[in-house]
Amino acid sequence: MKQKFKVALAQVSCKRGDKKVNIRKIQEYTEKAKQQGAELVIFPELSLTGYTVRDELYELAEKVPGPSTATIEKIAQKHKVHLVFGMPELSEKTQATIYNTAVLIGPKGLIGKYRKMYLPTHSVFEEKRYFRPGYRVGAFETDLGKLGLIICYDTFFPEVSRLTRLEGAQLIVCPSASPAVRRTFFETLTVARAIENTAFLAYVNLVGIEDGLQFWGGSRLIGPNGKVITQAKYDEEDLALGEVNYADIRQVETFVPTLKDLRPDLFDYLKERAEKL
Amino acid sequence: MKLTQSVLDLNWEEVKVKITRFIRDYIEKARAKGIVLGLSGGVDSSTAAALSAIAIGGNKVLGLLLPEKETYNPKDMEHAKLAAEKFAIKTETIDITPAIEAFQKTIPLFDPDDNLCKGNLKARTRMLCLYYYANKLNFIVCGSSDKSETMIGYFTKWGDVAADIAPLMDLYKTQVRKLAMHIGVPEEIVNKPPSPALWPGQTAEEEIGIKYETLDLILCGLEHFMKTEEIAKQLGLQKELVEKVKRRWQTTEHKRRMPLTTKIQYRTVGFDFRIPHNQP
Repeated sequence: MKQKFKVALAQVSCKRGDKKVNIRKIQEYTEKAKQQGAELVIFPELSLTGYTVRDELYELAEKVPGPSTATIEKIAQKHKVHLVFGMPELSEKTQATIYNTAVLIGPKGLIGKYRKMYLPTHSVFEEKRYFRPGYRVGAFETDLGKLGLIICYDTFFPEVSRLTRLEGAQLIVCPSASPAVRRTFFETLTVARAIENTAFLAYVNLVGIEDGLQFWGGSRLIGPNGKVITQAKYDEEDLALGEVNYADIRQVETFVPTLKDLRPDLFDYLKERAEKL
Repeated sequence: MKLTQSVLDLNWEEVKVKITRFIRDYIEKARAKGIVLGLSGGVDSSTAAALSAIAIGGNKVLGLLLPEKETYNPKDMEHAKLAAEKFAIKTETIDITPAIEAFQKTIPLFDPDDNLCKGNLKARTRMLCLYYYANKLNFIVCGSSDKSETMIGYFTKWGDVAADIAPLMDLYKTQVRKLAMHIGVPEEIVNKPPSPALWPGQTAEEEIGIKYETLDLILCGLEHFMKTEEIAKQLGLQKELVEKVKRRWQTTEHKRRMPLTTKIQYRTVGFDFRIPHNQP
């Protein structure tokens, strides 16, 4: 397992509903990232289809593995990189049950998938209308160490990233599609999730305008001490690279030992109170 | 789902009850004194007028006949009057020709040979008249748009579609015809070829390039999330034709929504203000 490697934050805009065009962009950005030495390339939430596709989701959703993951596997294989991207995933057992899924592919093929647990359905968001929430934590063994997957609004719920960390993930990957008015929240919470878990966190946001929603970009790789290692531009497509060095975690873990100090006895109480909210 | 004509069959008496109840309820909550609507002599406007009359009484419904010289058709006028008489609706006729001519003189860019722009101007002029009456009389404007034309965007933005209520908007054209027969709209109105009357000789089916019987089944398939291949296969049509209809439906969404803005603040019109309609 590698201790040190480069991560590329592929901050793209998408052509809504056009998987071919979006896969071409995944290919193009992967190629560029590889040339700059990246071993992990991360794309935004629902980057296969665009975020605001509404009723078209039923037609665009695919099984995982499926035709689109097969094509993207070839890209990962060709460039010998790991890729994370988002797509609407059709359940294996039904015909119109869809998940908002992040897919992790390695040079040898599909490694795993994570289905978004927290689906925003307020303000401009209507995810619960279309998606079924996931019930499993996303933490997968890879040549780049154990990678945790969370998606966008999951960031607001510390337990999701905490669970990936407790599964052993040292790098939490978070594809996102966040419109402009929420920038401060994400810039604060992504740093918090990194610090409280003493883990690296790679946040990759969408850019472009979809149905009047302006996605702000600003993707960032954050170190376990909360320091922003690299950040992509706001509001425009960008490819930002940063280095993950797992050795950095040790120093932070001894300085602010959040995992050592974790109190499992509080979680039963938390569950009880949450049920009675 | 099997795409046959029977899939569009509804219980027409139930539909009539639902629509008339809706109209009556809206009028009461809006505290309006009546309904004004444009009467073209076609099946949609005759049906909307008839349902309005059934809902609140013909004496509270005003039908405006809004002819202009280029598309003037005495048969249409006759049909509009026939429907009005049948449902005891008051009518008034306003020749909009001078208004159109005034626009022609007023707008420097006006191109008399551009049928589409001029046609849209006519539809919007009719809208101006309807809203003037509504304003003046404390009436509401009742639209006549059906689901087929609304879905494919076959209407003038802010023109014929502009209204306070659109009671027929969830019924395909062939369904409006059946409802019209059920409530007693004269058969000659129900069975004549539909036209928006924006320029002489214009008929909807010729312009759209497809019969409503077929169009409605394609749209019904799309409404039910069917794939274009499946719709084409079932109806024995070229897939390209079904895809063309689907494209037309999807690319005209801007005509069916409030103007798009971009989100800047906490809550935004058209995004996340979710206030109930018609508050007391």
